[in-house]
Amino acid sequence: MEKHENWPKIKAIVADALERVPEERETFVSEACGQDRSLRVEVKSLLSAYESSVGLSESKLTTQLVDAAQISRSIGPYSLIRKLGEGGMGQVWLAEQTAPVKRRVALKLIKGGMYDSTALVRFQNERQSLALMDHPAIAKVFDAGATPDGQPYFAMEYVAGVPITDYCDEKKLKIVERIELLIQVCEGVQHAHQKTIIHRDLKPANILVVEIDGKPLPRIIDFGLAKAVVPEFMGAAQFTVIGSFLGTPGYVSPEQADPGIQDVDTRTDVYSLGAVLYVLLTGSLPFDGERWRRRPIDEVLRQLREQDPPPPSTKAGRQDDATNTVAQARGTEPKQLVRALRGDLDWIAMRALERDRQRRYATPEEFAEDLRRYLRNEPVQARPASLLYRAHKYARRHRVAVAIASLMSIVLVSFVALQSVQLRRTTRERDRADRIAEFMTGIFKLSDPNERVGNQVTVREVLDKASQDIDKGLAKDPILQAQMMHVMGNAYLNLGLYSRAQSLYERGIQVGGSAGGRKSRDTLKTMHDLAWVLLQQGRLPEAESLERRVLEMQRREFGSDDPDTLGTLSELAFTLSQEGNSKEAVELNSEVLEKQKRILGPEAEGTLITMDNLAINLGEAGRPADAVRLEQQALEIHFRIDGLDNLGTVSAMTNLARSFRDLGQYEESEKKLSDALEIEARIFGPEQPETAETKYDLASLLARKGQIEEALSLLDQAVDHGLPPLLAARMGTDPFLASLHGNPRFAKLIARAKKQITDAAAR
Amino acid sequence: MEFQAFLRIALSREPFPTVSELLERWRGGDQQALETLVPLVYNELRTLAHRHLQRERPGHTLQTTALVHEAYVRLAGGRPFEAENRTHFVAVAARLMRQILVDYARSRRAAKRGADRLVELSDIENEPVDKSCEPLAQEIHNPDLTQLDDALKDLAKIDDQQSRLVELRFFGGLTVEEAAEVLGISRSTAKRDWNVAKAWLSRELKRGTHGEA
Repeated sequence: MEKHENWPKIKAIVADALERVPEERETFVSEACGQDRSLRVEVKSLLSAYESSVGLSESKLTTQLVDAAQISRSIGPYSLIRKLGEGGMGQVWLAEQTAPVKRRVALKLIKGGMYDSTALVRFQNERQSLALMDHPAIAKVFDAGATPDGQPYFAMEYVAGVPITDYCDEKKLKIVERIELLIQVCEGVQHAHQKTIIHRDLKPANILVVEIDGKPLPRIIDFGLAKAVVPEFMGAAQFTVIGSFLGTPGYVSPEQADPGIQDVDTRTDVYSLGAVLYVLLTGSLPFDGERWRRRPIDEVLRQLREQDPPPPSTKAGRQDDATNTVAQARGTEPKQLVRALRGDLDWIAMRALERDRQRRYATPEEFAEDLRRYLRNEPVQARPASLLYRAHKYARRHRVAVAIASLMSIVLVSFVALQSVQLRRTTRERDRADRIAEFMTGIFKLSDPNERVGNQVTVREVLDKASQDIDKGLAKDPILQAQMMHVMGNAYLNLGLYSRAQSLYERGIQVGGSAGGRKSRDTLKTMHDLAWVLLQQGRLPEAESLERRVLEMQRREFGSDDPDTLGTLSELAFTLSQEGNSKEAVELNSEVLEKQKRILGPEAEGTLITMDNLAINLGEAGRPADAVRLEQQALEIHFRIDGLDNLGTVSAMTNLARSFRDLGQYEESEKKLSDALEIEARIFGPEQPETAETKYDLASLLARKGQIEEALSLLDQAVDHGLPPLLAARMGTDPFLASLHGNPRFAKLIARAKKQITDAAAR
Repeated sequence: MEFQAFLRIALSREPFPTVSELLERWRGGDQQALETLVPLVYNELRTLAHRHLQRERPGHTLQTTALVHEAYVRLAGGRPFEAENRTHFVAVAARLMRQILVDYARSRRAAKRGADRLVELSDIENEPVDKSCEPLAQEIHNPDLTQLDDALKDLAKIDDQQSRLVELRFFGGLTVEEAAEVLGISRSTAKRDWNVAKAWLSRELKRGTHGEA
């Protein structure tokens, strides 16, 4: 053991020497040690131990991970030549295959912990599809096997290339040239996707560039591996520890990094390609991978899920030491680089890196196509309509609040989206668009943690604030103000806060009426909705008279065939049927139906809804045969267009069943109800309240036939799953259920149903 | 002693502190928190390590990093933890891990005396091409670690800092940067120390003067 007192000196010289390239060490040590022979001996023995310990790799105390590689230097038909690299998954060796063909391959040896006993099987399953891949941008996978002790290896085409990022920087490729290269990569990935192969670990280290006839050609390696190689124990822990096969931090998509999400699809590769583009453009990752690596998994996941990376131009514009180097490697100056990235390339990259895969480019091809558009100076798809985008963006930054206030935001965003189309034409109108955005920003400020008092922001709070602000906030633009009042009234209506909805509608009518005219389309629409809210509050006569007034004005202003007019007519029919005037309701809805068939088409959704409504009206008006006929038509269309498992189809079915019952055709009715119940159980789940009403109806038919047991058991379920209060209250007096009277089980059921009603009322 | 510290907290009216809280207290200078922490961590690590060692087939690698991390996730009860806490946890765990694995290796060695096994270290450190990814993973291959343990003890006599650095990296799976943070030294110093320690260890292990070999 060495003399301790000399250690600091030895240590310093050895450390200095190791920071130099091996060739220079000798000279350095001689100079540093001078005449001190024992010092020199000591230093040299340490250095030679360091150098010889590393075996095949140049400078590490690494010994081989793989027994087989060490002992025999050959695995199966492959003899190992030299180690190409080592990573989270294992080692890659250059190897020579001797049989059946003689060729050089890259042999990937998977290290322990990165596979389990099913890895090979999974890979074999994948082979068929892998064999189908034939694309210049994809390196071939030849073979897979296992060493005698079960360690899997994969043989693939040896690509003597460098990672795409290194290649581009070394060759100082310009932005345009980089994009051209990436387009080729996208084409390769697209090809693989068409053969149902997802890469799952796309990153520069897996996208190598070779030069063929002086032209760069990207080759993607490791296709199909990710699926075969799965850590032995999956879970969040594995992510930070191994950090590779759930994906590579910085390149992995949010959904793939989330252990809770199982259905990773081809769009995960789109995200990774987006990250590669980002690095090619800016020289750094969207998120700082280095810092990530050291953070706890939850935080990394949260960041992936909740944060957008800065746009490339922002990233490139950051003033730091690297800025010049990055720009130089792209044959440009920092300022020019930022300018080149700002706008379309920002949009494209951000679109590919959307956290929500629904908003990403759906395929690598779409991504490539937008890049091609950029190269051709055409407008890119990624750039959205400006105002909508801003509203969207805003909503996304405040995800929590929006989740709570989703209703509000949906209403507002759809409103804004609608408006933005019309508003973008002139400068004055653009100002208006800005005002909407500004107002909305104010509303959402409430959900900013700095501005709110409690922990939870409810839709209610957001709305209340908005309705307070609206008087002053948009006073300069009364037409817009009136529109917003209308929209917010709708939001209150959807929350069941009728009186608030009413007062906003009323103010909207007032403001809009004096600014844009009492007979403007907007004002009339608001009046229509005011009538609806009156109806909801049970103020039927008021609703009816308002509806009639609106109807008259709409007819005069826009004609009887106008969709707005028809909408009011249909609403009036509903009001009348509520008032018990089913005969007039039938007349009005017949009128609406005729017009809709003509205007919307006989099989349009709106037409079908009116058919359903009219059939109900007919039933109420004592014309069950007509009701059946109409409902049968509706059902047939629903079925043809939407198929069996559809809400419209099933509701037509139950309506038809009730008409049959009214007609006395109990068998038909029962058949339709059982069919409907089966569908409902499929689409809603068997225990959902949506099925309760159908169960009740079916039970009533069974009870009528004397099938007491079946009837009771169905009723039992219906009550359990939430029978509508109206039916629950009627149960005791329903003539169809007369056969159950005196049955103690039935008596208990009634008691339970009544208790549910009182409980619900107490809540 | 450890048990008493444990009892003291258990008997106090405060709710039992989480691992994160204990780490925080320890960082704040509360030595008692460490005393409470150690048996918790030790037990967890031991259970995990033994489970994995039993399951491992020969020729496979044991991933200390994975175990340490798994231990933390289990002890923290799934709560999110701060990066700082993690590093400090690993610092504690590295020492314990070394103890556990070396004990294990000694007991195995007693059973298989004569098997001529080499200690093999590998640190997958030659940085992959893009430096952002591929965390440093460390494995112990053929976990006959007694030689390494002895060598590390000798190294500690010469240079305690280097010995601790190796411990943190090898048994705790910390990166050079993280280990530097724990030791309170600069990154470059840590890097230099690491190189020298590797040179020294590889020489000593090759000489075979450590342990019984």
